[in-house]
Amino acid sequence: MDDLTEMLKGTLEGCVLHIIDSEETYGYAITRRLNELGFADVVEGTIYTILVRLERNGLVQVTKRPSGLGPPRKFFALNDAGRQELAKFWAKWEYLSSRIDMLKEGGR
Amino acid sequence: MNFWETITGSDLTRECRAFEARAEALPPEYRAAWEQIKVHLSPHSDFTGRNLMPILDGVLGLLEEAAADGQSVHDVLGDDINGFCTALAGGEGARSHRGRWREKLNRNVAKKLGRLGG
Repeated sequence: MDDLTEMLKGTLEGCVLHIIDSEETYGYAITRRLNELGFADVVEGTIYTILVRLERNGLVQVTKRPSGLGPPRKFFALNDAGRQELAKFWAKWEYLSSRIDMLKEGGR
Repeated sequence: MNFWETITGSDLTRECRAFEARAEALPPEYRAAWEQIKVHLSPHSDFTGRNLMPILDGVLGLLEEAAADGQSVHDVLGDDINGFCTALAGGEGARSHRGRWREKLNRNVAKKLGRLGG
């Protein structure tokens, strides 16, 4: 689906938090996961800026691990603040999507 | 960072040289992207550019990782390098040279107008 980017923008950070919550992971893998889900437009650079922001806001714990080739990779795991932020994201998402569904179901 | 480095910025020159050495090792299309990123980030620089150093370091790391993975630059950065740089520098509201100039101009104009009793 094209032109999802604008709509996705506000929720991408929550999606990234959720992916990191399920297992400790790194930027490239997160991007791949979202691509597989069908968000083809998401590039690694976008995820990178989100990860930088999460780190700056103290929501993630960062570990550097050597990779097979190239420089060491940064792995991200959620800390308590990150898990709280994720819970808030889902609450907001429930609210938003239920309201929009109501609008749609209500007709007119 | 010692006093001499703070005053002369000599540590920055050294850091920049280290960055360029790392950039040299990247494939050509990545080097081109690196040049563009530097240009797009420069408006977000503070007076010395010290605030950009950690950002540039991180971006180089990203480029190095991605190049080692064998991804194309386009897969990594997409079409919007400017947007990428703005997001890196801290979002739309990031204080930039241009923003500060605009503020200063607005202030000066307001002052002048005030003096004229306008």
